[in-house]
Amino acid sequence: MSSQAPSQQTRSSGRVADTNARRANALAHLVLNGILAALFVALFVHAGALPSSAWEPLGSGSFPRLVLAVLILINLAIMIHEWRRYRTEKAAAPGLVKRWLWRHRLAFGVLALFALYIAGVPALGFRLASLLFLALAQLMLGVRRPRSLAIAAVIAVTFSFGIDWLFRDVFIISLPRGPFS
Amino acid sequence: MTEALFSGMDQLFTLPTMLTMLLGVVAGVIASAIPGFTITMAIVLTLPLTFTMDPLQGIATMLAVYVGGYSGGLISAALLGIPGTPSSVATTFDAFPMARNGEPGRALALGVWASFFGALVSAIILIIAAPPLAMIAVKLGAWEYFSLIIFAMTVVASLVGRSMLKGLMTGLLGLFIATVGADPMMGVARFTFDFDLLANGFPFLVVLIGIFAVSQLLQEVEDAEQTKRGKQLIPANVAFKPLDALRETLSYPVNLIRSSLVGVFIGAVPGAGGSIANLLAYDQAKRASKTPEKFGTGAPEGVIASESGNSATSGGGLIPMIALGIPGSAVDAVLMASLMVHGIGIGPRLILDHGDLVYGMFMAMLLAAFMVLVVCLFSMRLFLRVTDVPRSVIVPVVLVCCVIGAFALNNRITDIYLLLGVGIFGYILSKLDYPLAPLVLGVILGPIAETNLRRALMTDENWMLFFTRPISLILLILAVVSVVFAIRHHLRQQPSEKTT
Repeated sequence: MSSQAPSQQTRSSGRVADTNARRANALAHLVLNGILAALFVALFVHAGALPSSAWEPLGSGSFPRLVLAVLILINLAIMIHEWRRYRTEKAAAPGLVKRWLWRHRLAFGVLALFALYIAGVPALGFRLASLLFLALAQLMLGVRRPRSLAIAAVIAVTFSFGIDWLFRDVFIISLPRGPFS
Repeated sequence: MTEALFSGMDQLFTLPTMLTMLLGVVAGVIASAIPGFTITMAIVLTLPLTFTMDPLQGIATMLAVYVGGYSGGLISAALLGIPGTPSSVATTFDAFPMARNGEPGRALALGVWASFFGALVSAIILIIAAPPLAMIAVKLGAWEYFSLIIFAMTVVASLVGRSMLKGLMTGLLGLFIATVGADPMMGVARFTFDFDLLANGFPFLVVLIGIFAVSQLLQEVEDAEQTKRGKQLIPANVAFKPLDALRETLSYPVNLIRSSLVGVFIGAVPGAGGSIANLLAYDQAKRASKTPEKFGTGAPEGVIASESGNSATSGGGLIPMIALGIPGSAVDAVLMASLMVHGIGIGPRLILDHGDLVYGMFMAMLLAAFMVLVVCLFSMRLFLRVTDVPRSVIVPVVLVCCVIGAFALNNRITDIYLLLGVGIFGYILSKLDYPLAPLVLGVILGPIAETNLRRALMTDENWMLFFTRPISLILLILAVVSVVFAIRHHLRQQPSEKTT
């Protein structure tokens, strides 16, 4: 038996197979760490305006500023490292982004549906939003046969209306009601 | 003492008390197995049900939920890769890979036995050493607390994965996230930018669920798509061999005892608790192991360390509460509240005035540990059926549970928006190979570190006190040694990784 988890094996072999992705990965790091470094600089400046106290040598802003200063340095160090990597790697083959997006279509689909669900909870209430999310997500993840569809429907009802009842009547915690409750 | 012990046992070993304790254990195990449903929430929900009970029956039932909860977190950590509670973060590191390697039964059985021994060791130490240990814990001033947190932060060094810089980045990001909201000393709003969502800071539990659960579930969907290897989350294999697991657990006696002692000590320090103990115990086990490179890939030592460490905090947390009336964690505060409801004063006189109750609580801890073992051994085959449930069901259902957990914490709709934001951010970080565990550690330790640093300097501006107070100095030396060892280990591993 392998010592590594299957998912890890897949990810690492995928990484080796797609050497083109290294340059893109370095670029992604440069973008992310660049944004984070800029954000931390702005927050560092903002923290300087936080009030100090007559009762203690460290004010409200000192500890966050200390943390932010180190974070800025670390982000810059990562950016320098990734910039070197970016310059040494070969340019990616055309269509890499398209292929990457296609490979992740299901994950992004679930994420988009989850975002819609969260946006829908206050508008539709927990029960209805959960029912729709559970039904659509199960369909998206490949439930097709009649028996599976029936099970999916039972799960959707149980984990939306059933959970809502459990929390409302047993735990006395009211989940978001919405206009249809 | 003997009289009080027998009196406590007499009150404890009655049918109604044992029955409500058994129900408490089952409730604790199930509640903690649901991501986002913490032990604290389970205890809080149990509290009103104990009002009509005798004081010992009420507290024993709540202790049963408490001990059961520490074991329940194992289930979702091992089978879903999502820590059911903050105290089972480190359990995901090895129990989940072990389950993904086709041995979910082994992962659960090892965790159950390790949890049992951790709870057993902590209950025994609680009985023997509650008063002297409490006195040590109470001697820790702000200087020692801060140094203790610095030592705990060095755990990050062994959680960093391939890149030390990336691990430090996420650890510090966690520290920063913890500074958002009201300043712990002056109450000044920091980095809130007039958003109601940020007024009270980032709720820790929402960050935990978002970082681990959402990103983990999206990775699952991705894996299913790329590997096309069956519909199940982990290979269906319901083999559950508790006796083999018992033998395997006992084959690591040093790890088991060390991790349990780490749990007891961390539990006894107010403000620390299971969420730190499991990571510290895991870290110590990894450092002491002859094969540290196997950690993170399904090493049994990792599962044993984390589970015995977190379960041992249950007894440790009661030490300062019983001897001094100081709650070690939110759960201990709720336990204190349940005693106060019955008109029992908490403080150093508790053991003198209500010896039978205190010794009854000690025995209840022991009894709960045995009950958890029995419940888990009989129910794990049932829980293992989770492996038969296809991803198309698990992923949406757990996402709904995450939303419930995030919302029910404060009854705030904004928390679920935060869950989505943190989840997306966690997914981006994990796609770029940033380790997520240091971030969680930073969020836990940040407020304790800042509060104690500022409190220490408010008491005396002399920085040298951190180095001249003996316990503080020892903790700082341990922190330096810990970092040096981690860097050495990291540098040694890099050339060997390049050659392979």
